[in-house]
Amino acid sequence: MGGKSKKTFKFSLIMLLTLSFTLAGCGGNKNSNNNATAKETSAAQTAGAANTSDKVEPFKVSVFIGAAGQQPTPDNKIYKKIKEETGASFDMEFLAGDINQKLGVMIAGQDYPDLMTGNTKLTAAGAYIPLEDLIEQYAPNLKAHYADYWNMMKDPNDGHIYILPNYGVYNGKVNSSWYSGPAFWIQKAVLKEFGYPKVKTLDEYFDLIEKYKAKYPQIDGSPTIGFEILNYDWKNWGLFNAPQHLIGHPNDGGVVVNNGVAEIFADKDYAKQYYQKLNEVNQKGLIDKETFVQNYDQYMAKLSSGTVLGMFDQHWNFNAAEDSLTTQGKIERTYVGLPLVYDESTKDYYRDLAVLNLNNGFGISINAKDPVKIIKLLDTLIQEDWQKTFSWGIEGEDYIVENGRFMRTQEQRDNAADATWQLANKAKAMFDYLPKTEGSFSDGNSTDAAAQPEEYKAGLKPFDKEVLDAYGFNSYVDFFSEPPANPVYYPAWSIDLIEGSDAKIASTKLNELQTKFLPKAILADPADFDSVWTDYVGQIKKANVKAYEDKINEQIKWRIDNWSK
Amino acid sequence: MDETLEIETVVRHPKKKRKKQPITWSLLKRQNQLIWMSVPLMLYIILFAYVPVWGWTMAFQNYKPAKSFSEQEWVGFKQFKFLFTDDNFIRVMRNTVAMGLINLILGFVTAIVLALLLNEIKNMFWKRTVQTISYLPHFLSWIIVTGIVATSLSINDGIVNIVLMKLHLVKEPILWLSEGKYFWGIVGASHVWKEVGWNTIIYLAAIASIDPALYEAAEIDGASRYKKMRFVTLPGIKATIVILMIMSIGHVLEAGFEVQYLLGNGLVIDWAETIDIFVLKYGLAQGNYSLATAGGIFKTVVSVTLLLMANGISKRLGEERLL
Repeated sequence: MGGKSKKTFKFSLIMLLTLSFTLAGCGGNKNSNNNATAKETSAAQTAGAANTSDKVEPFKVSVFIGAAGQQPTPDNKIYKKIKEETGASFDMEFLAGDINQKLGVMIAGQDYPDLMTGNTKLTAAGAYIPLEDLIEQYAPNLKAHYADYWNMMKDPNDGHIYILPNYGVYNGKVNSSWYSGPAFWIQKAVLKEFGYPKVKTLDEYFDLIEKYKAKYPQIDGSPTIGFEILNYDWKNWGLFNAPQHLIGHPNDGGVVVNNGVAEIFADKDYAKQYYQKLNEVNQKGLIDKETFVQNYDQYMAKLSSGTVLGMFDQHWNFNAAEDSLTTQGKIERTYVGLPLVYDESTKDYYRDLAVLNLNNGFGISINAKDPVKIIKLLDTLIQEDWQKTFSWGIEGEDYIVENGRFMRTQEQRDNAADATWQLANKAKAMFDYLPKTEGSFSDGNSTDAAAQPEEYKAGLKPFDKEVLDAYGFNSYVDFFSEPPANPVYYPAWSIDLIEGSDAKIASTKLNELQTKFLPKAILADPADFDSVWTDYVGQIKKANVKAYEDKINEQIKWRIDNWSK
Repeated sequence: MDETLEIETVVRHPKKKRKKQPITWSLLKRQNQLIWMSVPLMLYIILFAYVPVWGWTMAFQNYKPAKSFSEQEWVGFKQFKFLFTDDNFIRVMRNTVAMGLINLILGFVTAIVLALLLNEIKNMFWKRTVQTISYLPHFLSWIIVTGIVATSLSINDGIVNIVLMKLHLVKEPILWLSEGKYFWGIVGASHVWKEVGWNTIIYLAAIASIDPALYEAAEIDGASRYKKMRFVTLPGIKATIVILMIMSIGHVLEAGFEVQYLLGNGLVIDWAETIDIFVLKYGLAQGNYSLATAGGIFKTVVSVTLLLMANGISKRLGEERLL
């Protein structure tokens, strides 16, 4: 070799080496990482078993919460109490931006905190550890808490339990004074104006709105809006879901289930009937012109102004607007939920018994260093005294006890409603996602302060008393029929369609078609309605709806087989 | 590295053809400091621009996260097939290209015009003020901008409709966001509002480097303001314009995501959906990362082709070029 080529050789060797080092640095460390975690886990398990929580050892749990939220103040009294008594402190990360994007990044980097919000994407990515053995071994209280729901919590795909659902486990008598679900909402002022009529059908509902709007074309100087439909991003039920309720079915999402068989209803005649009615009332100018153009903020701003007479929505979705109306002192502009149906012979089934929400709550991630410690912590927190602390607060400070009944003074009530106060005095962010007792405690007090009958009565404004007295009801929930026991499979909307499957693609397609054609049909000239509808139904036929229905039916059958006791 | 050198040489001596110098050991030796200096940059580029290309293999798999490479299922061109055979694809492509071009052309014209106008302002205070005001929106995020846009286009007390009504241009408020035919215009206008000031900065810098003697000479020859703009300022910034144009043509398919996603609704979906939104809906939102990757590859291939084409055309025309 001559001098030149020797140097070339040396030079390229250097380059090659640098490159290979760089590449080596990039990949391949995943396994070693996992091994390390596995080792630590087993080490920790033995350690955890050895000293059975005699001493409070401080430890930190990192938590990902899949919703936007605010960090509590550093000296928050409940978190402080948890730290003092169990040693646990939480390092919470709230969602900022889009959940799918965030999860994509987390999954791609295998970068998981100890506790994570339940989500099918994470389950599919294998991000959670199975919990059933841990619970059996270390968490007797959790085991008792979930005893009746054990089968339901199992992942349909592999039979493991990955997520501890936060809502839907009931104990004792269930008091409910607040209906959070879907309904046709109408301003209390409209009912008052016409002497508190009983409204049962869709036609009666729109008649009232029409009459009221004709009589009061303006409210507080702004034009009155008859009916709003929110169809923005994932908040699209305002447009999609009403038909199933109008024929007396509960909320099953995109399908109606008859005798255990599901079919989509978007293209059925009873759906057409609803959208044709909307088309008709749109001609009368009752529907807000901007309704399909607005985003959620604009929608909320309109509701908060008190000019909207009615809408179809879920109560929790516009709750903040009602709070604002209450703060403004416009109680008569807040809403009553009505369980409307097409004809009076149909029994309404809007209100359902709450179900276990499998897509929520917490799961422990594969990266958690010490799952045993975490499950023990969760086991401690499900105990009744902690549950009371979470929901009611500290006795004497946040609530008072009279003859064994929990109550609040007016000041405590005001505090509880104050968001700033909550940051320092409630562990709201964590408690929302933790396993929790719902219904009532063993001493008969309600687990939810607002549902405590005495509390509810005391908190009622005079106007609300008037409305309820006129109908002879105790609370606004009484407008709805008592829900029957849930069918075993219920609800179909919580069925996991499996990421990337044909069923999921079909459901996305269907969603897209509804978003595109329904507004078109509603805003169309009545003469054109039928042609738009035909076009829409034709497009739905082309989408692979069958795959979607098949998947749901398969899962319904699976649930009936596996969940029946 | 070579590319930068070339650009500089080309710009400095546009007409002189550079004689190709053979790379010899003595040359490398003489420049060994330069070579060592470029190593970190090379590594950086390899690490962040070429290593990730490995991820493109995902597009040919039915990728499932948290499984190793050898466990993945290979599906060939299935994802691409899904992309290209979907009914919506042509429409989505049309929207992307249309909005990309609108943004490109509007962006260029308005930025150059604003730069020329700003250059004419002699009062420093006003010039600075106008400039600052015009580039401030650049720092707002799209979510805020679309919020402002949606509010200003609203039919109840949106400023656009109020102004149009007061000027008696329209009889009743127009529901801007409900008509597909307005949508591209709204997107283009929002882009201009947000970016015009920012895009102007580079032209102002280019203008500042023009030799004042040229203006003086033009003035002695009796050139008016417009003549000076046309024959001195514009040719002076021609190189900048062409280079920026070539670079942005490569970005035509980046018509945007946020604006369309945030302003779009069921009524304008046929005009609003871009490739990015499509990929989000059927790729990321479904956990189908393979499809998302396929979409990304498609965009890259088209962008590189466009870039090379623009560069080639520019070269043919004897203008400055990028590569």
